[in-house]
Amino acid sequence: MAYIEIRNLSKKFRDNVVLDNVDLDINRGEVVALIGPSGTGKSTLLRCLNRLENPESGTVSFEGKKYDLTTKKSKSKRELRQHTEMVFQQFNLLKNKNVLKNVIEGLKTVKKISRDEAEQIAYRELGKVGMIDRLTHYPRHLSGGQQQRVAIARALAMDPQLLLMDEPTSALDPELVGEVLMIIKKIAQEGNTILLVTHEMDFVKGVADRVVFLENGKIVANGTAKEVFENPRDERLKQFLIKVKQLDGSEYVI
Amino acid sequence: MPDLFDIKLVFTQIPDILKALPVTLEMVAFALLIGFALGAILAVIRISKIPVLSQLAVFFVSLMRGTPIIVQLYTSYFGIPILLRYINYYNGTDWNITKIPGIVFAVIALGLNSSAFDSEIIRSAILSVDNGQLEAGRSMGMSEWQVFWRIKFPQAAEVALLPLGNSVISLIKGTSLAFSCGVVEMAAEGKILAGRNYRYFEVYVSLGIIYWILTILLERIIKLVEKKIRVPEEAPAMKPAQLERIKQRLELR
Repeated sequence: MAYIEIRNLSKKFRDNVVLDNVDLDINRGEVVALIGPSGTGKSTLLRCLNRLENPESGTVSFEGKKYDLTTKKSKSKRELRQHTEMVFQQFNLLKNKNVLKNVIEGLKTVKKISRDEAEQIAYRELGKVGMIDRLTHYPRHLSGGQQQRVAIARALAMDPQLLLMDEPTSALDPELVGEVLMIIKKIAQEGNTILLVTHEMDFVKGVADRVVFLENGKIVANGTAKEVFENPRDERLKQFLIKVKQLDGSEYVI
Repeated sequence: MPDLFDIKLVFTQIPDILKALPVTLEMVAFALLIGFALGAILAVIRISKIPVLSQLAVFFVSLMRGTPIIVQLYTSYFGIPILLRYINYYNGTDWNITKIPGIVFAVIALGLNSSAFDSEIIRSAILSVDNGQLEAGRSMGMSEWQVFWRIKFPQAAEVALLPLGNSVISLIKGTSLAFSCGVVEMAAEGKILAGRNYRYFEVYVSLGIIYWILTILLERIIKLVEKKIRVPEEAPAMKPAQLERIKQRLELR
């Protein structure tokens, strides 16, 4: 039995099938990169896993503890959400709270940890992402890259079994992408289990233990970065890799 | 030069007018409470799109914003007793309508009037909070209640503060019409004073000064609250000693 097992995940937006009976296993400490063309349901998959979207069917189990992803009960949604933490494309830090308070918010209100202990955890995680000297800054005082590093610290502080990262560098100015990727690499090496949606293909090659290619709501390829990038067997995967310039294609000769 | 304008009287009669200040403030306080509470309820009804109630709320807001406050005061003053008489008639009750003080009718009219304006302010403030932050709260495992009170409410309050302040300023000035419900508040007190010496111009100048000062005081209070809840322009500096302490603690671990 895998550490995390996703089964039969299906999601439609009206008549548009975004996820079609997706099964996916994730092992402890594994970094799994989800790649694929826009609109194929990569972000939706992540958002179904913490019930920000409402799938038609699907279950997920964390070390054997199984959850029905279609549940409407707010209590089981809250329980489910405590297994994962999400890092958003738009950072989504609380605007009216400073860096320290953003990180301790969940520890205090959800985990009911004492203020003192929560601060210790926050210092540790903020130290990790290099934001310890910005404790009293508010999100508006920080660059996008800094905000995303704080958001990563906020997610790590909750000690999730699975970290969901939804295009964490897509909203950043090009020169700020590097600092965030460096932090993600660092936390990947520290043994966190991560499901990452990204368009940074070179980064995927360097960091991901496994690459999953999603197309039209189905997993078309699932293997190591080497297998997926260097020896793509599926035609659609090949086309995608050509488009993102990871594979030479004759039609792109200028 | 005849004694056309008695400037001294403008100031000497202010204390006499201020005797009615408590009545004015009492009306403001109660009407403000009704306005905020009912305004919040109407806002929630419209945001959650509750059928029937939502349409009724739209109708109520339109009616209240589309009619003059003086008309509303008179309708309240004459209409509520008629309503109560009907209730007495059909239920066989025996409520004494003449015992209800005029201030009750005035507070009801002023409160309902502000609630219409406040509901629009509160509704747009709540809708202005960015959904991404609410998702962040939910995804860390907060309950909807916590998401509301810890994320939505504080941020909406910041947005609503200034417009709600304006609404309270209108309310203060609106109380000057409560004489139509037989309430002797400051404006009415002034009119009574002027009735004795025919110095109407002086009394209205005095009233103008008093209302202006009241408004200035309220603006000051709003500024203070704003400073308290608004995110500062500049990042607050951290004490270097504090930072050193934190860093040392991190290394000790």
